[in-house]
Amino acid sequence: MAFANDRPIFLELADTIAADVLAGLYPEESQVPSTTELAAHYRINPATAGKALNTLVDAGIVYKKRGLGMFVATGAPEALRRERRAELHTHYIAPLLTEAKRLGLTPADVVDLITKDPS
Amino acid sequence: MTPTVTETSGIQIRQLHKSYGSLDVLSGLDLTLPAGHIYGLVGPNGAGKTTLMSTICNHTFPSGGTILVDGENPAENAGVLERMCFIHEDQPYNDVFSVASILHVMPNFYPDWDAALAQRLVARFQVPVERRARKLSRGQKSAFAIVISLASRAAYTFLDEPYLGLDPTAREIFYEELMTDFGAHPRTIIMSTHLIDEAAALMEEVIVLHEGEIVLQADVDDARSSAYVARGLADEVRAFAQGRDVIAQRTLGRILSATIRGQVTPGDEDKASANRISLEPVSLQDLIAALGIHTLTNALTTENR
Repeated sequence: MAFANDRPIFLELADTIAADVLAGLYPEESQVPSTTELAAHYRINPATAGKALNTLVDAGIVYKKRGLGMFVATGAPEALRRERRAELHTHYIAPLLTEAKRLGLTPADVVDLITKDPS
Repeated sequence: MTPTVTETSGIQIRQLHKSYGSLDVLSGLDLTLPAGHIYGLVGPNGAGKTTLMSTICNHTFPSGGTILVDGENPAENAGVLERMCFIHEDQPYNDVFSVASILHVMPNFYPDWDAALAQRLVARFQVPVERRARKLSRGQKSAFAIVISLASRAAYTFLDEPYLGLDPTAREIFYEELMTDFGAHPRTIIMSTHLIDEAAALMEEVIVLHEGEIVLQADVDDARSSAYVARGLADEVRAFAQGRDVIAQRTLGRILSATIRGQVTPGDEDKASANRISLEPVSLQDLIAALGIHTLTNALTTENR
């Protein structure tokens, strides 16, 4: 993974781990990589990796088991799914409609494209 | 080695002056570097990066001011100097010795030397151990210097442009090994570099040196959020930039990109989008380049400030 240059790295990394939790790569109650492992793997400062994990702790996605490491909270994938559904409009629908408008397409045209989408 | 962190641990520099003859390289520099972090030292050639590091490490004497490392003056202070490792951009080695014999004597200079790490890194960077240091290629010399800097486990490690001649694969190995070893053995690392965006993720703090003065010392994310780029039609961008601190601008036909110091407010976003201006984040490299040019311009127009 290459980090996009437009957001702080710790947020990008927190999003990546959250996406992996959502996709089931880290199941509930499984361990996520440590600060040191993340730092070495992504070649980032351990403080940045720590900030990413703390962001996920604050969001209730992972929790710390003293002396053992960080683990995925029970219910985290469902919570992420709920959160991302709520953000679907801001992150995808609104930009899609803005672009459609720029191209001279109505929302009905967009709906048409969506229903005809082969995937 | 577990470094004990106290209020005096770290580097404190006050009013540091260094001149070579009539040339002032450092003119009254103040810098505080708490121990246990990775600092990136950046700035144009001739800004004084090498001089600053050489002076802290007592490879050269200051012309004035004080330097304290863990509360002590490093000048000819063996107790402090054995905690430091300084890898020069063009590290000279006694050329009659092979890589293996140089590695063999290193524990005499660095009390925390890790021979097993050195062996592993030499193999990973494919530095030929039987070869004389003089016969190494440019990239192999850099790799060898990196091996020494990491295996020294010195509490204060200075890397001056450590990767001349290193190919991208070797640089990636360097970054990975640096992060791995720093994670396991936290210490203070000060690295000068021109590959700013590539190395930005390694640093906790960036220090921008310009003509012997520090023009910025900040957390990397804070530095990047201290400015933004407004891009759009020249007239509209100029109107938007009115009354703002523009530190750089570039044009492409009718398009103007202005780098503006400050933070974007929601009001700015509305104003920008109403005028077909896009507000974009600035890369650390672009910000630093802009600051360099800006400082020069400011120096010429100080009467306005």
